[in-house]
Amino acid sequence: MEQFFQQLTNGLAIGGIYALIALGYTLVYGVLKLINFAHGDLFTIGAFLGLSLLTAFSLTDKLGFAMGVGALVLMIVCLVGIIGILLDQAAYKPLRTSPRLSAVVSALGMSIVFSNAIMLVFGPNPQVYPHGILPTSVLHIFGLPFPVKRLLLLVTSVVLMAALYFFIQKTTIGAAIRAAAIDQDAARLMGINVNLVIMLIFFIGPALGGAAGVMVGLYYGQIKWTMGWLYGLKAFTAAILGGIGNIPGAMVGGLLLGVIESLGSAYISMAWKDAITFVVLILILIVRPTGLLGERVAEKI
Amino acid sequence: MKKILFLIAALSIIAAGTALAADTVKIGLTAPITGSWAAEGQDMKQICELLADQVNADGGLLGKEVEVVVADDGGNEQTAALAAQRLATKGIVAVVGTYGSSVTEASQGIYNAAKIPQIANGSTAVRLTEKGLKYFFRTSPRDDEQGRVAAKTLMGMGYKKIAILHDNTTYAKGLAEETKALLDKEPVELVFFDALTPGEQDYTTILTTLKTKNAEVVFFTGYYPEAGLMLRQKKEMGFDVPFVGGDATNNPDLVKIAGKDAAEGFYFISPPVPQDLPSKEAKDFLAAYTKKYGAAPGSIWAVLSGDGFRVMVEAIKQTNSTDPNKIADYLHTGMKDFPGLTGTISFNEKGDRVGDVYRVYKVDAEGGFILQ
Amino acid sequence: MNDAPRFSKRQIIYAVVAVVWIVSPLFLDNYQTDVLNTVGLYAILALSLNVILGYGGMFHMGHAAFYAIGAYTTAILSTQFGVPTMWTMPIAGILAGVFALIVARPIIHLRGDYLLIVTIGMVEIVRIAIINDAVSSAAKFLNKGFMLLGIQDWALCEKIANASTGGPNGIFGVAAPSIFGFEINGIVNTTHYFFLITAFLAATILLFFLLERSRYGRALRYLCSDEIAAEGSGVNTSGYKLSAFVIGAFWAGMAGTLFAGKITFISPTSFTFAESVTLFMIVILGGSGYIPGVILGALLVVGLPEIFQDFQKWRMLVFGIVLVIMMVLRPQGIMPPKPPKYPIHKVDEREVTL
Repeated sequence: MEQFFQQLTNGLAIGGIYALIALGYTLVYGVLKLINFAHGDLFTIGAFLGLSLLTAFSLTDKLGFAMGVGALVLMIVCLVGIIGILLDQAAYKPLRTSPRLSAVVSALGMSIVFSNAIMLVFGPNPQVYPHGILPTSVLHIFGLPFPVKRLLLLVTSVVLMAALYFFIQKTTIGAAIRAAAIDQDAARLMGINVNLVIMLIFFIGPALGGAAGVMVGLYYGQIKWTMGWLYGLKAFTAAILGGIGNIPGAMVGGLLLGVIESLGSAYISMAWKDAITFVVLILILIVRPTGLLGERVAEKI
Repeated sequence: MKKILFLIAALSIIAAGTALAADTVKIGLTAPITGSWAAEGQDMKQICELLADQVNADGGLLGKEVEVVVADDGGNEQTAALAAQRLATKGIVAVVGTYGSSVTEASQGIYNAAKIPQIANGSTAVRLTEKGLKYFFRTSPRDDEQGRVAAKTLMGMGYKKIAILHDNTTYAKGLAEETKALLDKEPVELVFFDALTPGEQDYTTILTTLKTKNAEVVFFTGYYPEAGLMLRQKKEMGFDVPFVGGDATNNPDLVKIAGKDAAEGFYFISPPVPQDLPSKEAKDFLAAYTKKYGAAPGSIWAVLSGDGFRVMVEAIKQTNSTDPNKIADYLHTGMKDFPGLTGTISFNEKGDRVGDVYRVYKVDAEGGFILQ
Repeated sequence: MNDAPRFSKRQIIYAVVAVVWIVSPLFLDNYQTDVLNTVGLYAILALSLNVILGYGGMFHMGHAAFYAIGAYTTAILSTQFGVPTMWTMPIAGILAGVFALIVARPIIHLRGDYLLIVTIGMVEIVRIAIINDAVSSAAKFLNKGFMLLGIQDWALCEKIANASTGGPNGIFGVAAPSIFGFEINGIVNTTHYFFLITAFLAATILLFFLLERSRYGRALRYLCSDEIAAEGSGVNTSGYKLSAFVIGAFWAGMAGTLFAGKITFISPTSFTFAESVTLFMIVILGGSGYIPGVILGALLVVGLPEIFQDFQKWRMLVFGIVLVIMMVLRPQGIMPPKPPKYPIHKVDEREVTL
């Protein structure tokens, strides 16, 4: 039983990261029906830029742990968000009225561009975040060990997700985003600046991905230029699992995916881990064809 | 007068330059310049180009300059086959590379059919030299050789419950299976044998499972990024089982990823790193490389491509020809204890490197690799 | 209408392109011919994907799964059972088709992006099954069945019991295909293989051209453009979708044979998700649903990275940029299909009386 709970928390930790990246997919998809395959690489850019800024300004040395990490995340959120807007302007905006899959290919092309650019700028070797930034102490809850930094990781991702949820549900701008997601033309007639909404979406989604990149860098320590592909695919799976375009769906999908992975490899087979995950996904989709929580916005048939 | 001298000097340099450029000895290099193994491939390219410059500074080869012709195999079989066809049309006399076993396998038939001697540097799969290809050699040792050393090392540590973890790549699984076959004959219990998914970052699930299996020692046959992460996460979990790694963990970045205190006590099996070789060649090479590129080469595998290059140059020098049969014959029988960057080099009739290559290393508290 | 030219401008261009393609090995070296071989192979694969993605409009990003099944069928039959490579081709196709039928049946009703992730999952599952050598376990099971049935052919039973994908090591030594006793070795002589691939490509183009023009092809395109309307007009949508899946898979499986026979060594790394993405890009970039466009797409997506070899480590970056620029400049694909014309003049107006 102890092993079970241990594996469950292992899965939740990685699932929180998946969920955070999945939000970027789901936001962009909700409004534009576009699968942004370059999103995983925006996550990687966040991780690499985070490392550069952290070491260049020695943030945590000067500002202390909490302030330093906070400042770092804020900087990355802005930078990666701006890169996201530029990405949209360059590669997706000219394709708004084209067949949907053209934008998907453009996204795949941008994924190649981003990952190779990271390799050329930072070199092909894995890079390492400085050690000892996050606290290493371990809490014991009900006799189970919980590393403090893992709790920090989980709490941060849940807080970010909750903030996004309230932003979308409770603010006027959020209402505009929801309106644009349901019907862009109607939203335009209602006086909503849809172009601005799309820019905002391409700021928030990549920014969350970038923040996830910094968190992965701080938590695991090692980052690699190819990692965006893998995380991107997992996050896309998570978004679909929960119901793409649905924000709580992305959170549930991400956490669930992490848990399935962890329990699947612990109790069934490690080497078959990803196959098990996909089998579960396919079974869920056979029973619920639009994901666990369903799409918030029905696709035009 | 000065002007005239300068003119003559300039003209003669240009003349010499064009004369040499017109006629060079071309040695090919297939390496993963892009793709997942780009770190290795780009090091391989730097090493071979550095060595070619040195040969040229010493008067070249057969009275000509040596030129390295690079083709990117992308770490992918199909690209590798194309790269091999590409190099085969470029008039190369020999080819160095490549890194991964399966990628080498996709290219070795093409080079053999084109009668171009090939010397692989990172391809340890046993099968590669078991096909009787005349023009295929490798500077890297074989998995069965390493498996033998690994089994011996694990037995020597005196543990009874051993776990073997690989990553489902050709190399790592091959080594894991060779080791497992040998350990099955010994009075030890193999409590775990499975694969992780390389490229991920969270290995706590696997570590938790290893803990419940009560493994006394874990032999990980995969690569250094995963090894580094596992050492780090194992430390954070407070799980203090000793880890032993295969030669793909031999990379200074391992300690950077894991952190010094987590990496301390990690054992790995590997051909000697250049830093440990007392030979003049190794020392000179390291000094020149560090001077030119600002850092020591990343892994032993890239250095083995340098050895491949030097071996080919030596064979062309000794046979005084670029005839593939003469080169292959010389490598099979003529070359005896050539002083390489990774120890002495000779080949057997299969094209495998002979001699005891493997050493056992341990990481000390300062993160240094200490020869045991 | 009689004085209209017998051949349209377009047909003349295609004829010239075909002639240039066929004579090109005379002017190219082994490497350049091999690039064309790869282009041809990817063109065949992309055309088979086009049936599913272009005509059927199903978001399918797992085509490498079928290709892998075909290639592995050939490799196993050739190296472990001694079957001549060309004979394995129909078996490879059928196995891939049967697999598609079984897998696609429950998922065919999924829409757009849900189908996309399921097909991605499919290619990953196939790859992982190959790495973990699921064939070996299945073969042992099959062998037990044979023994229970009392089949006494021990040599065959033993071969079946030992059938294996070789795990991550893959399978080495696939025999080069031979036709009427003439061996076509893609390693030694790339030109010979060029003609084999070209012949197969020509057959592919002809077949899919006829398919496109047939009643079946029209129904498929109809349901692609408006599924509800198609269903309303009595088109059995899920039946058509499923059959498109199976046809595409069958053809990709046969292309797998050509691949295994060409490179003689296959391993799981040749059949990754990235491979499926490449095929997907070829179809969409070239012109989804249009045969010449898809072939052009193969030429660009396979050819450009080779042309960029001299950029060394920059080459994939340059390739990515070019890809995005092409897509942005030609959002419908480089050569999109023209809307079909149904000439009215065939109906003699004088006969129309009200």
